[in-house]
Amino acid sequence: MTRRRWWLLTLAVVCAGWALGGEWVSIHRGVPENHLLDLLGGLAFLAGGIIILDRRPGNAIGPLMIAYGIIWYFGNWGNLNVPVLPLLGTSLGQWAGTPILAQIALSYPTGRLRTRFDRAVTGLLYAGAIAINVAILLVFDPRSSGCRACAWEPAPFPSRSAFLVATSAYQHAGAVLAVFFFAAVWLHWRNATPAERRDLAPLWVAVCVIAIIYLLGAFASPFPLAGPFAYLMWELQTLFQIALPVIFVWGLLSARLARSAVGDLMVELDQPLPPGELQSSLSRTLRDPSLELLYALDERDRWVNARGQHRSLPPPGQGNQARTVTLVERDGQPLAALIHDPALDPGLVRAAAAAAGIAIENERLHAEVQAQLEEVRASRQRIVAAGDRERRRVERNLHDGAQQRLATLALSLAMLRDHDGTDPATADALAQALAELRQAIDELRELARGIHPAILTEEGLPAAVESLADRSPLPVRIAADFDTRLPEPTETAAYFVVSEALANVAKYAHASRAQVELSRCNGTLRVEVVDDGVGGADPARGSGLRGLADRVSAMRGSFAVETPPGGGTRVLAEIPCDA
Amino acid sequence: MPCRVLIVDDHPGFRAQARALLAAAGYEVVGEAADGESGVRVARDLSPDVVLLDVQLPDISGFEVVRQVHSEPSPPAIVLISSRDAADYGGRIRRCGARGFISKADLSASALTAVLGTGCPR
Repeated sequence: MTRRRWWLLTLAVVCAGWALGGEWVSIHRGVPENHLLDLLGGLAFLAGGIIILDRRPGNAIGPLMIAYGIIWYFGNWGNLNVPVLPLLGTSLGQWAGTPILAQIALSYPTGRLRTRFDRAVTGLLYAGAIAINVAILLVFDPRSSGCRACAWEPAPFPSRSAFLVATSAYQHAGAVLAVFFFAAVWLHWRNATPAERRDLAPLWVAVCVIAIIYLLGAFASPFPLAGPFAYLMWELQTLFQIALPVIFVWGLLSARLARSAVGDLMVELDQPLPPGELQSSLSRTLRDPSLELLYALDERDRWVNARGQHRSLPPPGQGNQARTVTLVERDGQPLAALIHDPALDPGLVRAAAAAAGIAIENERLHAEVQAQLEEVRASRQRIVAAGDRERRRVERNLHDGAQQRLATLALSLAMLRDHDGTDPATADALAQALAELRQAIDELRELARGIHPAILTEEGLPAAVESLADRSPLPVRIAADFDTRLPEPTETAAYFVVSEALANVAKYAHASRAQVELSRCNGTLRVEVVDDGVGGADPARGSGLRGLADRVSAMRGSFAVETPPGGGTRVLAEIPCDA
Repeated sequence: MPCRVLIVDDHPGFRAQARALLAAAGYEVVGEAADGESGVRVARDLSPDVVLLDVQLPDISGFEVVRQVHSEPSPPAIVLISSRDAADYGGRIRRCGARGFISKADLSASALTAVLGTGCPR
C-alpha cells in the first residue's frame, strides 16, 4: 500500500471516530433523533470525500465534502458540557454547511470556481455564514431558549430577541442568495459544451435535492425539538442529504467508468472495422458525439478525413464552440488528430487513442489512398473542364473569325453576281462559287456546333436537346421535368450523352423512333435515351460511348448502356448537378 | 421615301458589304454601330425604320439590345443577323420580340423584304 493510501486510511479512521463519537454523545445525552440516519448523513459525506481524494487527487470537492462531514457532527459534540463545544455545535454545526455545499455544487466537476459570478455567490454565502456565527457567539444564550440544564458559558450580550432577528435576517438573505445560486448553476449549463453538459447532469440531480432540502428547511424551525412537524422536516432533510455525496461521487467517477469503455474499444477493434467506422467507435468510447478524427498526410499540415477529403484543424474557439485537438504521433511524426470537446479528460483521450493505435494507422493508410483517389478524380474533372473550355474557345474563334469572313465573302459574291454590269458567264461562275461557299459555310457551322453547341450556352440543356432532336433523321420525343439552368459541366456532359446516343441510334440502331428523358432528383440529373432499334451497343467497343462513360464518371456520375429484353437500346447517365 | 436602316455589327468588313448591298437595293443606311451600347444609343438618336442587329456583340448580347431598343417609344423593326444558324439560338429569337432572323451569308434585299414584308415598317 502506498504512503498516500496509508494517509487516507488514517484519515478515514479519524473521520469514523469523529462520527461515531459524535453520535455516541447524542445517544448518551438522549437527543431525540434518528441516530442511524444522522450517523449515515455525515458518514456519506466523509466517505465520499475520501473516495474523491483517492480517485480525483487535486480536486477540491473531496476536501470540501470531508469538511462538510466533520461540521455535521459539531452539533452532536455540542451536547457535551465541555467549554466551547456547545457553542460551536450551535454555530458551526448548524450554519457552516450551506456555503460548503454551494461551493461543491458550483465547482462541480472540476473543484474550481471558474467564473467571477460563481466566486461572488460562494463568497456571499460564506460571508453570511460568518455573520450568523458571529451573531450567535455574541448574543445566543441557550438558557433563554428554554434549556435550563445547559451550563454553557454565557454570550457577552445574551439576547433572545437579537438572536431571532439575526437568524431571521440570515434566512431572508439566504433566500436571495439561493436565487443567485440557481442562476449560477443555470449559467454553467448554458455555457457548457455538449460533453460538459453530460458531466453536469449529476449536478442537476444534486441541485434538485438541495432545493428539496432547503424547501424542507423553510418549514423547519431552527429548533428541531420544537414540535413533531419540525422534527419530521429535520429527519427528511437528513435523508435527502445522504443522497448528495452519492450523486457527486457517482458523477465524478463516471469518467473512471468511461475508462472501462476504452477496454470495450480494444475488444471492438479486435475485428477489422469498415473504413470510417473508427471515428464513430472513438466518439462512442469518449461519449463525445462531436468528435472528429483526421489523418495526417505525408506533406506537412495536410489533413484528411477517412474519406480522403481535405480538412483543416479547427481554431480553439470559445464557449460551447470550443474544440481541443489531441495529436496522435508515431516517432514524433503526427499520425492523426482527434478534435474533441475540451471537457474530455485528456488522459482518457490519450488512452483511447493509444488503444486505437493500429486501427488509426490502418485507417490513415486508407484515408491516404482515398485522398490520392480524390485528387485523381479532381484532376479528371479539371481535364474535362479544360477540354470543354477549349472547345468553347475554338467554337467562338470559328464564329468570330472564319465564319464572319466567309459570310462577308458570300455577300460580296452575291453583290457581284447581281451587279448590272456582270456578264452572264461571269454571273453563272459567281453563282456557282457562291453555292460552294454557302455549302462550306454550312459545313463549318455544323463542325462548330459539334465542337460546342452555342444553343447550350445560350438556352440551356432542354433547348439544346430539342435542337438535337430537330436535326435527327428519325422522330425523337423529348421529356424534361425542368426548364432551369444547371451547372455548365453538368449541362455539357448531359448534352454530349444525348448527342452521341442519338448519333448512334441514327447510324446503327435501325430504329423507327427514340425518346430522351431528362429529370432531376436529389441533386442528380438523370439522362435516358431509349430507342426501338436492334440493340447491341457496347461501350467497351465504341470509342464514342467509352469516352462518354469516362466523361460522366469523371464527374462522379454513372453511365450504363443496356439492351432490354424487348430489343432496342437504353443509355442511362446519372450526373451530379453540383459538379 | 427610302427605308432607313441602322446596321449594328462588330465586324467592319461585314458592315461595309451590308451597307453597299442594302444601298444598291434602295435602302438608306443611316448609321452603323460596332457594339450593343452604341447600337442602342444610335437607334435612339437616329430613329431608323429597321435595325439590322448582330446577335453576338462584344459588350451586350443582341437580345439585350432588342430589349433596350423596344423599351423606347415607337421602336424600329429589328432583324437579327448571325453567322450561326437560327436553330443555334433555340426559341430565343422568337421570344425576344425581333421581327425575324437572317443568316449573314444569306443576307440580301429579298431576304430582308421577306422578313419585313412589302414596304417600310413605318
